[in-house]
Amino acid sequence: MPESRRLELPNISRRKFVNVAVAAGALGGLALSIKLPAQERAGWRGVARPPRDPGAFLQISEDDAITIISPAVEMGQGGHTSMSIIIMEELGGRWDRLHVVDAAAAGIYDNPMFGQQSTVGSFSVRGWYTELRRIGAAARMMLVAAAARRWHVPEHECTVADSEIVHARSGRRCSFGSVARLAAKMRVPQQPELKPTGEFRVIGHSPPRVDIRDKVDGSARYGIDVVLPNMLYAAVRTCPTHGGRLKSFDDSACRSVAGFEKTVPLPDGVIVIARSYWQARKALERLRTDFDPGRLAGLTSEKVSARLHQGFDEPGTLARNDGDAEAALARAATKLEAVYEVPYLAHACMEPMNCTARVTDEGCEVWCGTQSPQAAQAGAAQVLGIPTSRVKVNTQYLGGGFGRRGQADFVTQAVTAAKATGGRPVKLIWTREEDIQHDWYRPAAAIRFRGGLDAAGRLVALDCKVVTASAPAFGRPGGPPFYTEGISTATYRIPNFRVTGVDQNLGIRFGFWRSVNDSHNPFMLEGFIDELARAAKQDPYLFRRAMLQDERPDARRQLALLDLLAAKAGWQHPPAGHAFGITAFTAFGSFVGAVAEVSMQDQIVNLHRVILGIDCGVAVDPDNIAAQCEGGMVFGLTAALRGEITLENGAVTQSNFHDYPMLQLVEMPRVDCHIVPSAAPPGGVGEPSTATIAPALANAIYAASDLRLRSLPMIRHQLGFRAVRT
Amino acid sequence: MLTLTVNGTQHSIDVEADTPLLWVLRDELQLTGTKFGCGAGLCGACTVLLEGKPVRSCLMPASAVDGKSITTIEGLSKDKSHPVQRAWIAESVPQCGYCQSGMILAAAALLATNPRPSDADIDMAITNVCRCGTYNHVRRAIHRAAESQA
Repeated sequence: MPESRRLELPNISRRKFVNVAVAAGALGGLALSIKLPAQERAGWRGVARPPRDPGAFLQISEDDAITIISPAVEMGQGGHTSMSIIIMEELGGRWDRLHVVDAAAAGIYDNPMFGQQSTVGSFSVRGWYTELRRIGAAARMMLVAAAARRWHVPEHECTVADSEIVHARSGRRCSFGSVARLAAKMRVPQQPELKPTGEFRVIGHSPPRVDIRDKVDGSARYGIDVVLPNMLYAAVRTCPTHGGRLKSFDDSACRSVAGFEKTVPLPDGVIVIARSYWQARKALERLRTDFDPGRLAGLTSEKVSARLHQGFDEPGTLARNDGDAEAALARAATKLEAVYEVPYLAHACMEPMNCTARVTDEGCEVWCGTQSPQAAQAGAAQVLGIPTSRVKVNTQYLGGGFGRRGQADFVTQAVTAAKATGGRPVKLIWTREEDIQHDWYRPAAAIRFRGGLDAAGRLVALDCKVVTASAPAFGRPGGPPFYTEGISTATYRIPNFRVTGVDQNLGIRFGFWRSVNDSHNPFMLEGFIDELARAAKQDPYLFRRAMLQDERPDARRQLALLDLLAAKAGWQHPPAGHAFGITAFTAFGSFVGAVAEVSMQDQIVNLHRVILGIDCGVAVDPDNIAAQCEGGMVFGLTAALRGEITLENGAVTQSNFHDYPMLQLVEMPRVDCHIVPSAAPPGGVGEPSTATIAPALANAIYAASDLRLRSLPMIRHQLGFRAVRT
Repeated sequence: MLTLTVNGTQHSIDVEADTPLLWVLRDELQLTGTKFGCGAGLCGACTVLLEGKPVRSCLMPASAVDGKSITTIEGLSKDKSHPVQRAWIAESVPQCGYCQSGMILAAAALLATNPRPSDADIDMAITNVCRCGTYNHVRRAIHRAAESQA
């Protein structure tokens, strides 16, 4: 990497769409002038407006190389590939000439559905599907216009395939690169013509993932791999008690460690800087710190649980209120009540949090894996008291994100360190212990359900009090409590249905954890639905079917998915000694579900098979959708089996993979994933399946043993686990 | 002064004796394909081959590898042509990819001693953690690599 004290601030504009190998070096830079088009800033989000500037999303060089500037970061979810598939479908470029880079922090990369430049919420494909098609189509039309002008032929006589424009009547053809410079001068079509979906050759066909080859030989560059000339290394210790403050510290013993440079205090910790990372770690061990633990000093998991349960008696905020649940419960022939509960969870990305920063008189440059380049930019700017326009964010591959890397705490720490090193860059790397103990946790949550069945065994009343250790501002301030989603959005037809949310913000940091509210709500609701089915003496699959019998599109799609799962499992005829648990629901704009096939042997749960199903609308990259469903399920299975963050004295008890263990290969079940063919607009893919396994497994365990899991993790119930692949 | 051979090239490196091999590779030799995951030998992201055997480099002090020969992911092949790398590409194994250097080296070490591993052999040998949940792809790719060598 060339040594440069000056920030390069390339102005990504349509001119670059042209273009040429020289400009390629400027890619990914800070795009000061790039903002959302005025129409979109004004709230005009439909397809009637012109597409966003193609030059900010793709470049074609004269040697026919195609560079896609991905508005979605790559954290394993296949974002780079999915974004490229959508653009390339309409562009007609050759997949083997494709190269993908990450977008700079700039408003033009705000997700059209979500409104921020964040790779979160399974929003990338569903937010960008239409816009990137329009951008790809606009670029194709500009290339065609350039070729047609050169040949003096009508544009409509030209066709595009494999990075070439062809004029069949005259037998002429030319490559994209040969007309790219001229194409950049063409008018951007205001209403680009999109391909009929029946002609798709890329969407739905899973070309090779663009990041695989770099990930098999060590050349993939993650945040932690950034190397800059003259770079220093940093390690950090923050107060174990959440909300605690640094009182004093003594670094005199650090000074005897070779390579030690300096310490930099933080409000809640101390950064140690040295010439190598190991030297920084050794110096950190000798650092003496005195923390004021603050108001959470006495907080324990037992107190968290007690506060959640107190919430059941608080009025809370109404999220849904169909009919009259109270009156219908009073009349019900059979009443059932149950409390479900789950603990805090950590993300445990494989790549511990880290960031490299360089601060100079001109501004600041950071390198990191981030799900939100703009959050990283804002965090750095705030530390330095400079405008965001003077912060350049260089997004790298993410060694896992799962919602954790939408935060910028590790960025502000690195910038604080780099502010104190006279312009030398600093790479700050958290230990795994810091990573586990200073996460933004999936909040602990509990729900009290009260259900009523009529004499025919129909669910006529359901009252749900959802209590989480989060806050109203978690997700969607102003609307119904965000954390009730997955309960209040249930597709089932229940005539008297009330959902109330209560938040108990205890001061422990909480955040988005793969599948967010669905990481607990479907486990709880689908478990209770199963209990109601048993109370009604009905088959749990048929009980669910009965509540989806209407013409609403959502009900039809969820029913079709449920039926697919039951059919693929052979629901009515489980193998001898085996039992099934089923679940299906809507999440992130998709319909998703699972059947778990288990047998019980003493206190050991044998998991024989997991059948996953998803209706995510148009399947942009089916191979990746299957991989995401499978991997997301593993994320949920790990949590269901043993995921638990506990608190003592306001500090997290767990510290590394020995006490926050991950699922291992030996425990990996057979997984069959089924994708429902659909022409509906794309739904989310990265997160929905995470939510399926806990309810499917809990319901299967009940079917096999009459043991009802109303809390997680499973290990708390003295149950062992084994995957049996036969 | 530490002397070691990494990917066929001999290096003399001036580091403290207790520096883990992981940080020697990453920070002294800029071989960043070997990853830091836990620092406690638990996850396997830092797996390298020491005299052909898989070891967790985050716990291996420099003093213990003096004069030894090490293979990192960068040295497994020149052009992604090792059967395990080819199988990994064919099965599209990686997601985030962070654990995959260690996975691939663990798989290569397994196949070097057991050219046709059973599922049970794979269960025993591959103890690397993958947070993205690529385990079934890993298993398929190991079988594919084994078949390609047969």
